[in-house]
Formats: sequence, C-alpha cells, structure tokens
Amino acid sequence: MAFLGQEEQIREFQDRFKYVYAAVFIALGLLLSRLVFLQVLNGDKMRQYSEENRIKRVKVAAPRGMIFDRNRTLLTDNRPAFDLEVIPQYLRESKETDRVLTILSKLIKMPKPKLQEILDRAKGQPSFMPVKIKTDLSRDEVAAIESWRIDMPGVEVKEEIKRTNVHGDIAAHLLGYIGEVNHSELPILNKETQKYKLGDNIGKFGLEQRLEEVLRGIDGEEVKEVDALGRVKLDKRRGRVLDEDAGKPAKPGKNLILTIDQDLQLEATKAFGDKIGSLVAINPQTGEILAMISRPSFDPTEFSRGIPTAIWSKLLNNEFHPLRDKTLQDHYPPGSVFKTVTAVAGLEEGVIDEKTSFRCTGSMRVGNRVYHCHKKQGHGEVSVVQALTQSCDVFFYRVAQKLKSVDDIAKWAFHLGLGKRTGINLAREVPGLIPTEEWKRKRYNQPWNAGESLSVAIGQSFVLTTGLQLANLYAAIGNGGTLYRPYIVKSVETYDGRVLEEFNPEPVGKHELHAKTVELVTQGLWGVINSPHGTAYHQRLPGMDFAGKTGTVQLMRLSADKIYLKCQNFKFKERHNGVFVGFAPVKNPAIAVAVIAEHACSGSMGAAPIARAVIKAYLEKKFPDLYGQRVVAERLKSQGKSTFVPPTPPAALEDEDVVVNDDIEAVPGRDE
Amino acid sequence: MNHSSMETPELSSGSMRVGMYDEEFKKFNWSLLIIQAILVGIGIYNLISATGVEDKSLGLYKSQLLWFGMGLALTALTLLPHYSIFSRMGYIIYFGNLLLLAAVLVLGRSSLGAKRWIGFGGFRVQPSEFMKISMVICLAKYFESDKTVEGYGFRELILPTLLVMIPCGLIMMQPDLGTALTILATFGTMMLFLKIRARTLMVIGICAVIALPLAYKFGLKPYQRQRIITFLDPSADPKGSGYNSIQSMIAVGSGQLFGKGYKQGTQSQLNFLPEHHTDFIFSVFSEEHGFVGGLIVLALYLGLLVNGLSVAYQSHDKFALLLSLGIVSMFFWQIFVNMGMVMGLLPIVGVPLPFLSYGGSSMITSMLGIALLTNVANKKFMF
Repeated sequence: MAFLGQEEQIREFQDRFKYVYAAVFIALGLLLSRLVFLQVLNGDKMRQYSEENRIKRVKVAAPRGMIFDRNRTLLTDNRPAFDLEVIPQYLRESKETDRVLTILSKLIKMPKPKLQEILDRAKGQPSFMPVKIKTDLSRDEVAAIESWRIDMPGVEVKEEIKRTNVHGDIAAHLLGYIGEVNHSELPILNKETQKYKLGDNIGKFGLEQRLEEVLRGIDGEEVKEVDALGRVKLDKRRGRVLDEDAGKPAKPGKNLILTIDQDLQLEATKAFGDKIGSLVAINPQTGEILAMISRPSFDPTEFSRGIPTAIWSKLLNNEFHPLRDKTLQDHYPPGSVFKTVTAVAGLEEGVIDEKTSFRCTGSMRVGNRVYHCHKKQGHGEVSVVQALTQSCDVFFYRVAQKLKSVDDIAKWAFHLGLGKRTGINLAREVPGLIPTEEWKRKRYNQPWNAGESLSVAIGQSFVLTTGLQLANLYAAIGNGGTLYRPYIVKSVETYDGRVLEEFNPEPVGKHELHAKTVELVTQGLWGVINSPHGTAYHQRLPGMDFAGKTGTVQLMRLSADKIYLKCQNFKFKERHNGVFVGFAPVKNPAIAVAVIAEHACSGSMGAAPIARAVIKAYLEKKFPDLYGQRVVAERLKSQGKSTFVPPTPPAALEDEDVVVNDDIEAVPGRDE
Repeated sequence: MNHSSMETPELSSGSMRVGMYDEEFKKFNWSLLIIQAILVGIGIYNLISATGVEDKSLGLYKSQLLWFGMGLALTALTLLPHYSIFSRMGYIIYFGNLLLLAAVLVLGRSSLGAKRWIGFGGFRVQPSEFMKISMVICLAKYFESDKTVEGYGFRELILPTLLVMIPCGLIMMQPDLGTALTILATFGTMMLFLKIRARTLMVIGICAVIALPLAYKFGLKPYQRQRIITFLDPSADPKGSGYNSIQSMIAVGSGQLFGKGYKQGTQSQLNFLPEHHTDFIFSVFSEEHGFVGGLIVLALYLGLLVNGLSVAYQSHDKFALLLSLGIVSMFFWQIFVNMGMVMGLLPIVGVPLPFLSYGGSSMITSMLGIALLTNVANKKFMF
C-alpha cells in the first residue's frame, strides 16, 4: 500500500512531529494552568460564589409583642390570617385551569373571569411563584378549599400573621395600629443601622408606634438551599453542608402589660354608646390609666395588612374624626369643671375661706358689660362649697376679681397639671392652654383685660384642656395635691413572661394643698352629686358616694336672646359639649374619671351618666366587700333607705350648668 | 514490502513466520484502548452524577452505556481488516456521510432550534459527528496519492477545500457551528502538517483578517455573535448570555483541590450549570472532584494524544500517518475547545468532550477514532 518513495516523505513528515508534540504540550499546559488558576488560586472565591448561588436566606418574621391589660386579658394579638394562592405552574392545560377555576369561583364566591384576570396579570413572573387570589379567607372558606384540595392542583391556602385587636375598636387609639414601612420612612429609620426593609411592619399609631422598639421582635433568618429557578430543595443529601450556617431563629418582641382594666374599658364603651367624645379613668394614688377611650373609633385589625381604601376613606371622611385620640389630641374648653381650680386658687391664695359668701343675682355687671350666671334668677347667698355644688358662675367671677390677677388662677392650674403636657407615653399629646397676662401680651400684643379673668374663672375664654388633663387634675385634688405623670404601661415582659421592666408612679409635682382646701373643694364636689341642689344630684349612686363636677360648654357664640334656648333644638354640631369629671370614693379615691361628650348638650345628662357607670363598675369590682351590689343593698336597707335611684329630674334642670357668656372672642379651636 | 522500522526487522519477520495471530496479540497495542476504557469509565461514573438531576437528562447514563456497547462492537469490526480498506473505501464513506447530512436537513428532528438528528429505528444519530472521522479518512485518502512536496499552493488546495467545505456548509445549515469548526480545524491542522507554501499561508492569513469581521457580521447568527461578545466580556450580562460561562467557571473553580464530593456538586445538581450532561460535563467533574480529578482527566487526554501521535509517527505509509494524525487532531481540537470553553478561555461553542460528554454519536465517533488508531498501530509490522 505504501507508494514508492513514501519512505523519504514519511521521514520528512516525522521530522515535523516535534512541532505537533510541542503544540499539544503547550495547549494542554494552557488548560492545566487555567485549571490551577480557577481551582487553586481562585478556588475560595469561586466556592463562595457557588454558595451564594445555592443558599437563600429567607426572613422569618418575628412576632410582635402582645399587649395585655392589668389583669392579663389579651388586647392585641398576632392571629393567623389565611390567603388563597394559586401556583400557575400546576395549571398548564387550559382545560385543567378551567375546571379548577370553576370550583374555586364557587368556593370563594368570586366570578371566574375575575380569577382568570388575576392569573393573567401574573403571566410575566415565573410560573412557580404563587399568585395571591384573595386575602383573609373566612374559616368556612378555608375549610371548603381544604376539602376540595385534591381536585385543585396548584391551589394553596397560605397562613400569615395578622395583628389583631382582640376587642375590635375598643382602645384603638391607645393600642394603635401597624402598617408597612413606606419609602419615605425608610431612610430615617435606617439612619444608624439597617433595621427595616420595605414590606416590614412598623407601629404607626398609639402604643404600637410609641413602643415600636419594645414590641418589635428581631427577625430571624432561615437558610435554604435553592436551585437555579429559586425553588427550595428538600434534598437531604446535601443537608449537612447547611448545618454550619443554620440561620437564626426569630426573636419575638416583648409583651406589654398595661395599667388598663379591660372590664372598665368595656363598661365605658357601653356607657358611651354612640356618643362622641372621650373618657379617661385614672388611679389617683398612682397615675395609672385605668380606662381610656375615644369615640368614634376604628378597628386597628383592619390596618394590619393594609387597610382597604374604602374603609380608609370612610374613616377620613367621618366628620367626627375617628382617627383622632380625643383623650389627648384635642383641646376642649373645660367650662365649669375648671371652677374647682378657681376655688383652689381662691382658697390657697387666701382671698376666700370657708365662711366667704357672695350674693348671686343671676348676673353681674363689670364696667359696661354684663356677666351672666347660668341660673337666670340667681343662686342667692352662696359659699364656696355651695358655689361648687350649684356651679354658681357669679361666685367665681367674684373670686377672680378678688385675686390679684389671672396669673393666680394660672399658677394653680399649672400646679394641677393644666396648660402643659401630662407627659404620658403616647404620641401627639396637646398641651392645652392656661392664659396668663404675659401670654396674652406675647400672643396678642395686648394687655390683660380684667373682664377676661372672669371668663377664665369659669373655664371659658382662652382656657383649653384635654380630657386626660382633667382626669389628672381631679385625681390630684382627690389625693390631696400630688400630681402624677399618667402612665399606661405597667410592665414589659419577655414573650415567655419574664419581667424586664416595671413602671412605678412618678409624681411630677407636689403642691401640698391645705387640708382645709381639699376638704372644702371635696365637700363642694360631693354636693354636686349628693346634695339636692347639686347639678348632678340625679346621678348619685345610693350607698356609693362619689364627687365630681359637671360642665356644659357652649361652642357657638350665641346672641343674648338665644342663650337660654333649649340646646336640643340646635343643629347637632352647634350643641353644647357635656363635661363631667369626678372621683370615688370621696375619701382616698381609687378612681378619677373625666368624660367629654361632644354635643351632648349637658354635663349632667350627657357626660355624668357615663362617668357614673364607670365608677360604679369599678368600685363594685375593686371593693366587693364595700360596694358589691348585695352589700350596698343591705347597707341601705339597714339605714332605712330604699335602693331606688331617683328618676330623671324635671326638664327645668337640664341646662343648669351652661356657661352663658357673650364675651367669647373666638370659638375654641381644635388646633394643637 | 519495505519497512524501515525502529524495531528490529528480525523480530518482526520472525513473528510472521511463527504465527501471525500469536505475535499480533503480543504486539497488540492496548494503550489507547486502555486509556479509552478509563475515560469511558470516568465518563459513565460522572454521568451518573450529572444525570441524577431531575430534568430532561435524568438517567441518561444508561443510554450512554448502550452506545458504549455498540461502540465496542464497531471497534471489533474496525480492528479486524487491514486499515487499507478504509483507504479504498474513503470516498464511499465520505459520500455516504454527505448523503446522511443532506438527509438530516430534509428529515432531521429538531431539538433546541437545531436540526441535527436523524432517526434509525429507535436510535437518533448525529451524522455531523460521524463526518469528523469520515472527513479525516477522506482527506487521508486524497493526500495519500498526492505528490506535492514543495508545499501546497492555492491551486492544489482547491479540491481538498471543496471536499471540506461541502459537509461544513451542510453542517452549518443545521446549524452546528462547533462540529463545523472542529472539522475545519482538523483540516487546517492536516494542511499545515502537509506544509502550505509560505506565500499562500500569508495570503490566507491576510484574507482571514479581512474576512473575519465580515463573517462575524454576515456569516454568524445573532446568538452566535452574542456568544463571542459574551466571551470577550462575560460580566457584561451575567444573568443573560454570560450566565453559562460564569456559572461554568464557578463550578470548576469551586471544586478547589479535592472537589465537593461525588454527587455533591451544587452548581450541577441544582441546575446552575447549563447543559451539565453534554457540553459542560467537565465542569461537573471538576466541581465534584476538584483539581486532582481535573488533573487525572487532563493526564488521560494527554496520554491519548501522545499515544495517538506516536502511532502516527511510527506509521509506515502516508495514508496511515495522515489518518492517525487527523484523528489525533480531531481529538485534540475537541478536547482543547471544550475544556477551554468550560474554563472561560474560549467562547461557548457546542463541542463535546470525547468519552465524557453524553451523546451516542460522539461516543461512537470517538471510539471509531481510537479503533482506527489501534488498527494502524497493530499493523505497522505487517508490510
């Protein structure tokens, strides 16, 4: 086969083999050096890249701390919510999809085209990623879906956590709500450390907001192995590789134990009915908030997973501002309940005493101006006790005249916690306003007008307070002059019940009142409810003494002829506010309550019954041996009194307490 | 019969007298078959891991074993006759294969947008793979009788170039750039070996420099162009076209010295590595067996190439020499391009790694190559 002469050519060819060998060695040497470069020199880096490929860190949301009342009744909880999801991957064939959607549309009562539309919208994303069809399934829907599970491939019920206010809209403002962190908040929150990510929840209102740091848990991390498509692999073979870094468990947030008594909250809410306003109940011996409600309210649960627009706009458009906490975010002129402060000022400054009495003729002329008493025919000769009991305006006009200046009233108002924030650990508290001569000079560049002192003396003019301040004021009077910083959180505990921090009463100012002052004021306030002349006599609780003061605050400037018109005939928003603040028992009070009932027309009829119900409930619960229903009934029987509570008094008494002044310069604003 | 061997003629002629088969058995060159056996062993072992992934490749190592069995039968058939029969049948083989290539374009089955396969009963074969070896046989045959000594010029190159360009054109139409390039590279290697005139080489070089950008612009499909861009800068589009290259480098590199362990390669087992059972099979192996494993495979290939070259070196006629050289060059280019590609040295071109990549036609072709080399090695004293 070899041709002649090939030997020579082959020898020549053989000569060329050295180049071929060289090429092979160089090429394979190149491959070898690349192998060294990748595996030996850059192996660590490449190994890390491959780990980053397969290891996915999945956030494990830490449950927020729960909130309990003082008796460990659960108020705010993390409850499961169920969402319906469909994984399109399982619905490849249109016939199958059609069948599944038919069943599904019947189970969750959603038209099939809408289901199809939701699925179509998710067409762009990978088909193994679940598409959310419906949130917050009812238990019945979950049960129905589960029973049809086998017939519906790709349909899944996913459990998520929903921050739930166990008692619906009760204490909504206090407890607050959470929501997702938004874009504008992120940079501020993460200024120092990377704490929040988009999609994280954060407290946005109330305690949820104020104590975000306490309630928020520390999210954990689960380490999962995923494939190139991001699917979690359940392969145990490589499981051990993951053990080195098994992630970290979520750390639940801390629980709050509040000073609130939920029974009292429920009682207060019941008593409030559909009235508008607020109630604050405080323990006068400590400053603990026992109850705190603002009506109308909202359900924080609806916020926890993104509030539906319809509900949100309904809340925003409600003319009575359900989102505002009326206990401390709104200013109210206190009206007659402020007379207590004037009385304290008069007594402590020594311009009046036990025996001082003034004659009330129904009105009083100062300069060329007439100052009216709410009782047209006048109260006659009244002492300080009687003046408080009957809410005689003229008496307090005279006290104001006797005092050196309005600053003397302001001094005692400040001592008793008005005109400044109480310092409660809740957001957006407004300070209220107690006018002084200096204040007016600064604010209006005008000297103080002597007549204005008269208005201030009866809680009108510039005086503005909050419900919380009023409750705290009467609490301080009840306990003899110690003003406490109201507090709402009794203790902070770990999720498993270890106490981390306990909060104690914190006096913010002690202005010991003379025993005589306390005695006289208390006597006057006792009379309000228990004396037949008292403005709230018909609210008395037989066998259960309590003291208090009514206030009926006119909101519109009324012309003289309208002053004595019946409030019920006004348009709702023009009706007077009813205010009542009181405490019980009269000696060593255990509870002080302030009620502001907007447009309820009168303090005694609109606000006092609510306070009375709360006081009654509290005393019965707290001192069953003294105030239990049977004990009270037996005591009254032995005293020969009937347990019969007097019926509603005649209509003539209704507006007994209206402050009728035509010198109100401005309708008290709601501004902060 | 003339021979000028480095072995002693006495021994060889003596063996002829005593009994051809005994001696032939004694002289039987096992080295290439042994290297092939080890590589196939490693290949199957590695495929069991690579095709253990739940995707289209699941369990494919079984058919690879089947193909290996068929390859063994073909090896035996190839070893029986004297290799000169392939010289005689050279053109028949070539034209037969051409017909098959044409048939692919007409009857072929599509897969991944390319028409490369043709069905034979239950089997699917890739005629373009076989063309690699048919081309070498054909070229060896063509040059066997060619007497050009002073080096080849354009005129002498026209016919062989035509012989190569026809199948390459058909293969490009499938399209299968990798195989066409392998054939072209093999042809180029053989031509260089046969010596091309310096002037001709220069002109070709200049033409290539001019033609390359044009070919890039008009001759390549967009995805092929993308591959080249990607190769030049894989990080330009790491999630897109650069993905394969980057993931493959990560797979290889992350194997480090000793590898992640058998079936523990996360890059391949979790599907980060594309085509992990075919083109990127070496990445699977080096991820799981590390530098040590890679070194062993590299050494085996070196052994294969060096042994093949020594067969060519020791062959006594021009056909045998060119045949062996062509086969070695075919192996060389596939090994170099494939490994260079998975390690990020070369752009991504679909070239299988002999004996390791999954694929029946590639397996048969490679085994035929080894069988032919062994045949040549065994017959060197028979003249």
